[in-house]
Amino acid sequence: MSRPCVYMDNAATTPVDPLVAAAMMQCLTADGCFANPSSTGHAPGNAARARVEKARAQVAKLIGAEPSAIVWTSGATESNNLAIFGVAHAQGERGRHIVTSRTEHKAVLDPCKQLEKEGFEVTYLKPGADGIVAVEAVAAALRKDTLLVSLMHANNEIGVVQDVGAIGKLCRDRGVLLHVDAAQSAGKVPVHVGEQCIDLLSLTAHKIYGPKGIGALYVRRQPRPLMLPMIFGGGQEWGLRSGTLPTHQIVGMGVAYEIAARDLESDARRLTGLRKRLWAGLEQLGAVHLNGHPERRVAGVLNVSFEGVEGESLLYSLPGLAVSTGSACTSASQEASYVLRALGRSDQLAQSSLRFSLGRFSTEADVDYAIGAVTEAVRRLRGLAPAAAG
Amino acid sequence: MPALEYSPLVESHFTHPVGAGSWPAGQGEIAVGEAGHEAEGVRVRFEVSVRDGAVTEVRFQAFGCPHTIAAASWLAEHLKGRPLDRAMPVPILELGGILEVPTEKRGRLLVVEDALHAALAQAQKRQV
Repeated sequence: MSRPCVYMDNAATTPVDPLVAAAMMQCLTADGCFANPSSTGHAPGNAARARVEKARAQVAKLIGAEPSAIVWTSGATESNNLAIFGVAHAQGERGRHIVTSRTEHKAVLDPCKQLEKEGFEVTYLKPGADGIVAVEAVAAALRKDTLLVSLMHANNEIGVVQDVGAIGKLCRDRGVLLHVDAAQSAGKVPVHVGEQCIDLLSLTAHKIYGPKGIGALYVRRQPRPLMLPMIFGGGQEWGLRSGTLPTHQIVGMGVAYEIAARDLESDARRLTGLRKRLWAGLEQLGAVHLNGHPERRVAGVLNVSFEGVEGESLLYSLPGLAVSTGSACTSASQEASYVLRALGRSDQLAQSSLRFSLGRFSTEADVDYAIGAVTEAVRRLRGLAPAAAG
Repeated sequence: MPALEYSPLVESHFTHPVGAGSWPAGQGEIAVGEAGHEAEGVRVRFEVSVRDGAVTEVRFQAFGCPHTIAAASWLAEHLKGRPLDRAMPVPILELGGILEVPTEKRGRLLVVEDALHAALAQAQKRQV
C-alpha cells in the first residue's frame, strides 16, 4: 500500500509534538540539564530542578492548581492507583466504601476490585444510555462510610464528558473525597480543580503530544488528603512517590501542557468540525449508531457501531486506517467492549464498534479518507454476511 | 489487544473469497444450512448445489472474523466436485491448521462446520 496509514487513534496515544521533543532533548546529554534534580548541592542539579519546577507550574496552570499540588508519576495508571490505594490504605479506618462507575478505565476498576478483596465495598454506578453518570445516581450511592468517589472526566472509549463539577460540589458537601481520572480530558476540555471541587486528579502526558512514561497526580493542598505512598525510597515528591525524577520526561510533559493550554480552544473548535464531518459521512451508510452523548464529549472522539459487520473483520479491512475497535477479538467467546455493554448496546453492536480519535495533526483529507475506507469495508462485509437472524 | 495476524491463505480468502453470496430464490435444487448467531460473533450460511451425487458448487455467506470468512471460502472452493457422502475434504480442525487459526479461535470453525453439515444433510436427504 503506497498511502501511509491515516492515524486516528489519538485517544490511545499521540505523537510527541516537535517542540516537546526539542525541549526533552535539552535534558539528556552532557551539554544539557541531565543532572539529578534532587542534587541541589550543585549548579547542574539546580538547573535540572529549575526545569522540573517550571514543568510543574506548566502542568498546574492547565488545571488551575498550585504547582506544589502536582506529584510526578509514571502516567495515569500509576496516578489512579496512587489516588485510590493511597487514600484507601491511609483512611480505611474512616470509611470502607468507594463509589465509581462501570465505564471507568481498567486502571480504576482493577484497583477497586483489589480493594474489594481487602474488605472494601465498591458501588459501580451504571451510566445512562448516553454514557453520562447522573449526579443524582452519585448522590444516591453516597453513604456515611463512603471514603472516595472515583470517576473519569472523559471516557477513553466513547469520549463523553462527565459533569465532574456538579459531582465535585456534591462530594465536597458530603465530606467525601473526589478523584477524577483526567487522562482523556486534560488539555481537551477545561479542567479547574478548585472550581470543580476535585481532591485528586490523574494526568498523563502522552495523550496530548507529550512523551509516554510520565504523568502526574494532583493532590489538593488545603487540606491535603491523608495518603499512603505505593513506592517507597528516596522520599521524592513529598514522600508520596519516591524515585529519581526523569527530568526529560517531566520537561516534555510541561511543554505539552503549556501548548495544550494555549491551543485548547482552537484545537477543540477545529476537531469538533472534523468529528462532525466524519460522523456525517459515516451516517450515510445507514444502520450505524453513535455511541455516547452527541454533544457532551471531547472534540476529537467519535465511537460508532455498525450493524451487520463483525468488528475484527472490519478492522482487518482497514489497513490504511489506525483506529481502535470495541472488540477483544482473540477469545472464542468474543469479549465485547464492557463500556458499550454498560451503555446497553447489544453484543453485536458493542463488538462492531470503531473508535476514531482525531488529533492536532488530523486533516480534512484524513477524515474523507476514513469515510471512504470505512464505507467501502462496511458495504463489502455486509454484502458477505447472511441476512440478519431474527 | 494482540496484533491482528493472519496467514497468507487467510488473507487471500478474506480478500478474494471463493463462492461468496447466494443463489437467487427458485434456482433449482439448492440445499441450505445455517449455524451461529451475530450475538456470538459468528453466523454462517452455506448453499450447496448437487448433481449425480456430487457437489457441483457451493456458495456461502458469513458474518464473522477473517478466519471464519476464510474457512467458509476455503470449503466452498474445495468441496466442488466431491462426492456428497465424502464432501468434507479435511476434518474441520485440520482446516484450522491449514489456515493457521489460533487455538483459542478454533471454536468458530465448529460453527462453520455445523452450517456446512446442515446443508450437506439437507442435500443428502433430497438424494434419498
